Amino acid sequence: MKRAAFAAVIALAAGAAFAGPQDVLRMFNWNNYMTEQTVARFERRCGCRLAQDYYSDNEEMLAKLAAGAAGYDLLVPTGNAVEALTKSGQLRPLDRAKIGNLANVKPQFLDTWFDPGNQYSVPYAYSLTILGYNVQKMRELGLPTDTWAVIFEPQYLEKVRGKVTVLDSQRELFAAALKYLGYSANEADEAKLKQARDLILRAKPYWAAFNAASYFKELTVGNIWLAHGYSNDFFTAQQDAAKAGRRFAVAYTTPKEGAVFALDNLVMHKSGKRPDLALQFIAFWLEGEPSAELTNTIGAGNPNRAAMPLIDPAIAANEAIFPSTEKFSRLEMLRDYDRRTRRRLNRLWVEIKVR
Amino acid sequence: MRSQRTLQWLVGGPPFLFLVVFFLLPALIMLVASFRYPGDFGGLAPLVASQPGEEAGLTAESYAVFLSDWVYAEIFAKSFGVAALTTFVCLVMAYPVALLIARSPKRNRDLMVLLVVLPFASNFLVRVYAWMIILGPFELLFSRFAVIVGMVYVHLPFMILPLYTNLEKHDPALLDAAQDLGANAWRRFWRVTFPLSLPGVFSGAALVFIPVLGMFAIPEILGGKDDWIVGNMIKESFLGTRDWPFGSMLSLMLTLAVLAVAGGTSWLAARGMKGT
Amino acid sequence: MTRRLALGVEALGIAVLFASFLASGGKYVLAGAAFALVGAAGLLGALGGRRELPNFWLWYASLLVYAFLYIPLLIVVIFSFNDSKLNAEWVGFTTSWYGKLFADEAMLQAAVNSILIACVAAAIATVLGTMAGIAMHRFRPRILPLLVFTPVAMPEILLGVSLLIFFLNAAQPVLGRLGIEFTLGLGTVVIAHVTFCIGFVAIIVRARLAGMDESVFEAARDLGASPWQTFRLVTLPLIMPGVLAGALMAFTLSIDDFVITFFTSGVGTRTLPLEIYTMIKVAVTPEVNAISALLMALTLALIVLASRLAPDLMRAKAE
Repeated sequence: MKRAAFAAVIALAAGAAFAGPQDVLRMFNWNNYMTEQTVARFERRCGCRLAQDYYSDNEEMLAKLAAGAAGYDLLVPTGNAVEALTKSGQLRPLDRAKIGNLANVKPQFLDTWFDPGNQYSVPYAYSLTILGYNVQKMRELGLPTDTWAVIFEPQYLEKVRGKVTVLDSQRELFAAALKYLGYSANEADEAKLKQARDLILRAKPYWAAFNAASYFKELTVGNIWLAHGYSNDFFTAQQDAAKAGRRFAVAYTTPKEGAVFALDNLVMHKSGKRPDLALQFIAFWLEGEPSAELTNTIGAGNPNRAAMPLIDPAIAANEAIFPSTEKFSRLEMLRDYDRRTRRRLNRLWVEIKVR
Repeated sequence: MRSQRTLQWLVGGPPFLFLVVFFLLPALIMLVASFRYPGDFGGLAPLVASQPGEEAGLTAESYAVFLSDWVYAEIFAKSFGVAALTTFVCLVMAYPVALLIARSPKRNRDLMVLLVVLPFASNFLVRVYAWMIILGPFELLFSRFAVIVGMVYVHLPFMILPLYTNLEKHDPALLDAAQDLGANAWRRFWRVTFPLSLPGVFSGAALVFIPVLGMFAIPEILGGKDDWIVGNMIKESFLGTRDWPFGSMLSLMLTLAVLAVAGGTSWLAARGMKGT
Repeated sequence: MTRRLALGVEALGIAVLFASFLASGGKYVLAGAAFALVGAAGLLGALGGRRELPNFWLWYASLLVYAFLYIPLLIVVIFSFNDSKLNAEWVGFTTSWYGKLFADEAMLQAAVNSILIACVAAAIATVLGTMAGIAMHRFRPRILPLLVFTPVAMPEILLGVSLLIFFLNAAQPVLGRLGIEFTLGLGTVVIAHVTFCIGFVAIIVRARLAGMDESVFEAARDLGASPWQTFRLVTLPLIMPGVLAGALMAFTLSIDDFVITFFTSGVGTRTLPLEIYTMIKVAVTPEVNAISALLMALTLALIVLASRLAPDLMRAKAE
């Protein structure tokens, strides 16, 4: 009797685990990169189910694909990851007739270095890696907030010792250092990389932690006053601080020396089983309304012209999310290094972490 | 004699086969991987070059990099330090609980063991985040202290359970005899209970020391800028630089180091046991 | 009387310490008061009579350790009612996260997967691990210990990646040629979990056997019992607490595992730790606390149920 009941429970659970409707579009996306309303609307329109798996890092996604994981129809990789995927032949070319209105996309986001002619990808959203801070504290201490110097120069760091975090990402931190030194974020010259390393090591004693996940939480609560991080995260932090009625506000700016800008794209993976649904989704996304929903919810940068009228004016006016043409020219996308430079950088990174 | 052999294969056979297929084989693949070139976009480069000039085949490059620099030895030393400290603190905290449970009336024991294990039915990450909430206001977050607290917290039942299963089997008559001979509570513990519990101590220590070395989540979440250990470095290799040969090499080095420590300790333990 | 009082004071001290985490002001004062209370309890206990509560210091220390284990847990549960998306500080009370949880199909599916995998993996690992533990104790083989303990010694990430490569580059093509379609999924996760759990079970079972008196087995053999009978009637009951402890350990390890599951799960196979970890980038909302609290309650209920339905198993038969 007990055994039968036990078996029944297992069977039910197993059934629940394996069952599912036939029309499923499988997507591998960043976490929280699509609102529930968008998902619901698409599901109604296509009469299918949208199943998402999540990753929190391009590297995670690439690592899984490099080991051979298959079955995803759509991926949302950043530019350098798109290059990796096209060069290793993992993507399906887009059927131009079916993807909808590519003209909706702002021209500066089309025909990119990683996909000339947009054969494989369509822009999805973008974010910048910038500085976020506690407005009151920065004002009190008289610190500038529009330059990378504030996280690299000891004269400023002294005042915020132990209250600064930087991203726990090799490329991002080196990019910030290289930009501050006046070089390109994709610099591969060993001498310049070593210069960046020295700059970082000089500033490290003043930093609290290398943190890529919870820094904006700490910023919201007031444990951290200055952080190197992503625009979407700072948007959330700003909203949460306001909602919780804190005595301080959170703000974020793009440093004048320039910053990293990450353009995420919709691409179709070769092993996907429903390319038709995938194309439908791309057309759906290009309409503009879905991406506007995303921008209004998490503050993601929007490359779609048709979406602009639907975006909250306060967000549309925010320079850190929608940079002016002048500022935009100083933004750079990260390109993958070749494997020798990657190893070299890794070696420098280990030094940074240990010394 | 023959029935002894068949019995050995009957009992030891299934786990042996399972592990050969699902552990040894993959491990050998890993070993080969550490001698390969990293792929251009991550993963591994092919074994046979399909284009001229492409790097393929086997190489000891990863090992050369590792052995040519002191910084890697530093990280290993630091990691072993963190693991040793965590193990020691776990032992000190686990012993009273294991002893209390072992000495309690039988009807209470299951409840007490359950109370030890229950916290671990909740998610690991959520518990670590709870420690962020606790330590944050006291300004202890992002520090070595926070990392140790987190590590101890997560590994405590792994020390309590083996200790308890060992202590439960101790014969109370031994302690009575010691008491009759005039030993006070501390001497009874140190001279009788503790030596007898050593197998349990070693089991527990193994279950704490080793996982700590490979952990990356706790240093990442609770640790400060100086709390990078081997586990983080390995994760970085696989998920950051996508340099699989290097990551494989590091993992193998770590495994060798751990086996060396384990072998050394059990050899010492065997010698110690002979003495008692 | 004094010693029981001392334990009470200690418990009070712990409660005050806990409250100080939740208080928005005066945290340090409360924490200080708490430590003072715990110290006072220690003093009272030291002065107390020797006859009351024979294991007083054990109780004292154990209470502290149990508190250490449970305070973060209570915080998890309490903060599941926190009205804040980022859940970094207490803002207000709400039960909305539980509501959101029950509407969150993905999260619930992940939880079911986790439990299913844990049950199956723990069962298999316990059987294989017990066999391994007995074999190692009785026959002292040379290769088996290495095979059993090295997965425990290896970093999980290595196990995960090696298994992934194995499944995709070896298992899949070989089975494909035999006409069997093999992909990553719940099955591969179970296999992966069993691989690293066997060692834990084996360690515990072997430790238990090591502390036992060999004469019992010899007596059984002398009395003419076959190996199977010896095992069933003598060995198994004696090692049962060890086997159960091992099973519990395996279940716990499996349900919470992230790294190995990450690499060996397929498209659409979500488990709870995977689901939660991918939320880290954005926000670990109180919804996660809610499901953790519920899972704990569920595990507790299951164990209580198990002890009611099979009370003999929970007690060592060799009394």
